[in-house]
Amino acid sequence: MDSMNRRAFLQWSVRLTALMGLGAKAIPVMAESLTQLAHGAAPALWLQGQSCSGCSISLLNSEPLGPEQLLTQFLSLSFHQTLSGATGEAALEVVNRTIAQGGYFLIVEGSVPAGMPRACLFGEEVFSVQLARAARKAKAILCVGACAANGGIPGAEKNPTGAISVPAFLAQEGITTPRISIPGCPAHPDWVVGTLAHVLKFGLPPLDQLGQPKAFFARTIHEQCPRFSDYERENFALNYGADGCLFKLGCAGPITRADCTMRQWNGGVNHCIRAGAPCIGCAREGFASKASFPFHLTASPGRAEGRS
Amino acid sequence: MKQTINVSPVTRIEGHLGVKVETENGRVSSARVVGEMFRGFEQILRGRDPLDAQEITQRICGVCPVEHGIASITAQDSAYGVTPPDNGRIARNLVQVANFITSHVTHFYLLCGLDFVDLSQITAYQGRDSALVGLRDWAKSQLASVAVNPVGPFLPQFPAQLIRDPAVNIGVIKHYLDALEVRKIGHKLCAIFAGKMPHAATLVPGGVTEQVTALKITEFRAYLARLRTFVVESYLPDVVAVATAFPEYFEIGRGCGNFLSYGVFPESSGERSRFLPAGVLLSDRLQSVKVEAITEDVRYSWFSSATGRKPTEGETIADPNKSGAYSWLKAPRYDGQVVEVGPLARMLVAYHDGSRPGIKAAVDELLKSLGRQPKDLVSMMGRHAARALEARVLVDRCTEWVEQLVPNQPTSVEFRIPESGQGIGLTEAARGALGHWIEIRGRKISNYQCVVPTTWNCSPRDDRDRPGAMETALIGTPVADAKHPIEVARVIRSFDPCLACAVH
Repeated sequence: MDSMNRRAFLQWSVRLTALMGLGAKAIPVMAESLTQLAHGAAPALWLQGQSCSGCSISLLNSEPLGPEQLLTQFLSLSFHQTLSGATGEAALEVVNRTIAQGGYFLIVEGSVPAGMPRACLFGEEVFSVQLARAARKAKAILCVGACAANGGIPGAEKNPTGAISVPAFLAQEGITTPRISIPGCPAHPDWVVGTLAHVLKFGLPPLDQLGQPKAFFARTIHEQCPRFSDYERENFALNYGADGCLFKLGCAGPITRADCTMRQWNGGVNHCIRAGAPCIGCAREGFASKASFPFHLTASPGRAEGRS
Repeated sequence: MKQTINVSPVTRIEGHLGVKVETENGRVSSARVVGEMFRGFEQILRGRDPLDAQEITQRICGVCPVEHGIASITAQDSAYGVTPPDNGRIARNLVQVANFITSHVTHFYLLCGLDFVDLSQITAYQGRDSALVGLRDWAKSQLASVAVNPVGPFLPQFPAQLIRDPAVNIGVIKHYLDALEVRKIGHKLCAIFAGKMPHAATLVPGGVTEQVTALKITEFRAYLARLRTFVVESYLPDVVAVATAFPEYFEIGRGCGNFLSYGVFPESSGERSRFLPAGVLLSDRLQSVKVEAITEDVRYSWFSSATGRKPTEGETIADPNKSGAYSWLKAPRYDGQVVEVGPLARMLVAYHDGSRPGIKAAVDELLKSLGRQPKDLVSMMGRHAARALEARVLVDRCTEWVEQLVPNQPTSVEFRIPESGQGIGLTEAARGALGHWIEIRGRKISNYQCVVPTTWNCSPRDDRDRPGAMETALIGTPVADAKHPIEVARVIRSFDPCLACAVH
């Protein structure tokens, strides 16, 4: 690791450690955990089910620990559908060799079409069969994004494929490998990298009842909202672009636990509420699942009334 | 001698794709392109609030969410009878153009780079570039380690002829590393007016929710300058270098020769004001787009719903056990014809349109530098050249759009969802023509259909047994080594397939 990378990486460790509430003593330990990954001590395997690749794309937006450092210095990622050099048989071979060796961190993006297994194939193999194989041999499983963590849009009502979350699938299969859920549509890169780093050195991070790291998902968006004072003063926006709390436009911030408003997106450039868009609750368990819970409550002037 | 080659999974594209080809005497004689994943977005949308559509359809794809969002709100604009104010129109264009350029850069380097560069040469790197030194040392330590797949996920590559000139090879590897940072800048550009990326938050019927301020304009300019430098100084020259190293690929992967573009980036409130124009090129004759000429066949698709339907009356009923079917994609046709969509289609339509002399001149200049004719663009390498040229044209044009924003002016207009109605949203995604059709009854979505770029390009055979655009393009591709069919992979990737989009 050259000095530039080392410095960037230590800075990132400091920030991460602070965010996870671990204190200064943990910084060198955290650094070591990431270094350990780089030397093949903890290989990772990334599989995609019914996904849009949005969580992969989101992870590539990671900073200040950039994708180059993630991929070359801190992760020993044997396979990723969107990045792998290997194609066709060579790709199957890499995946199967990784599974045979075992002991990797399995990262899964996308839901599992439990009701229609042929709705997701990898090579000639049904994805759910591949996932079960890979999950049994994994050290731990990270279910990344709304689809893997909660079923997401593929698992919404009226879906034709019987799509379910990865934890639900593992429970069906009786697979007991430790798993962590990182919700979000997509998952924020910090949530993925921070969780992975914690798992490596400290074991499983403190999790909530949904198996989500408390470090990122303990408090609601509403509690941490820059427009919270508008809510308190009952200054509500009734149309897009208006100032004020977005509650009456359908904002799901009060029922969504995540730290987007503090962390922001794309390296701090913006976030949904700051940009005048009501939170659509992409990190909450029931995200998108019901037509009776629309994302927006304004459809006509005067219709805005907020969640009851 | 006949041989069957199964390239599945095709990696370094978006999603789940398999391709089966038959070769005769070392050339592809027929191909079947298999979409391997289905979620059922169109059924999920039925019965939902219309404003759910721009949020849900963006999640069809994490690579082109913005374009689905734009298609959805454009369809809703038409259903509600509203037109965004100039600030809203421009902000939408800026989010969309930033995602186009991000997508093009990602495609050439992250997705296709390993089809051209010889990564093993990095171990012999003698220079002082810190990123390349870091990559070299990492690769060496990986090769000496017990890692299950050393230098993963980048290796193994196909053993094939790659770039021979070490300077060009190392240059493209360096720009691969740069591209990892540059595409983040592209997404920052999106996020300035989109709230976040992937999956933009601000796209709503009537405009966008984000506001225009002098600071945002300044931020946008600053990031755009960095993106522009990369496109001008690295991306387009690298495509020229690769095209020079692999001239045979101007003869390979030619395809059906018919092209469709819906046009994109409205420059005023008028329908015909799109910077990249709409048009259909059938046998080199440019025609205007007739939406009613679009139909979707499903004879070879795992759907039991009626075949040959127009999107306005389309259905999507899955049948994974359907006899004779081989793909989750439908087979869209234009006036019964197989057509190709994407940057090549857009550049060719603009070239023939006559109203965009600047684009025609840019195409001619690029062709001159490559020593090629316009007909050579219809090829595997022509697709890369057209994509890079489009990035160059757009990065210049959008620099002017930023200056048209006016701080503190509205970015949206109010709208009312009618009791019933319908709308069509035609736009372009980075990888081609994208259409959304919405029908509303009782203020709920009663039908929603998406006809998506990769559905056109990766389409299976239609009801009359005619292969889709990529299946056609693969025919005649030479395959030197059936165990390592890199030529097939190169032709497939030149289309920039996005399978999550294609099936949705």
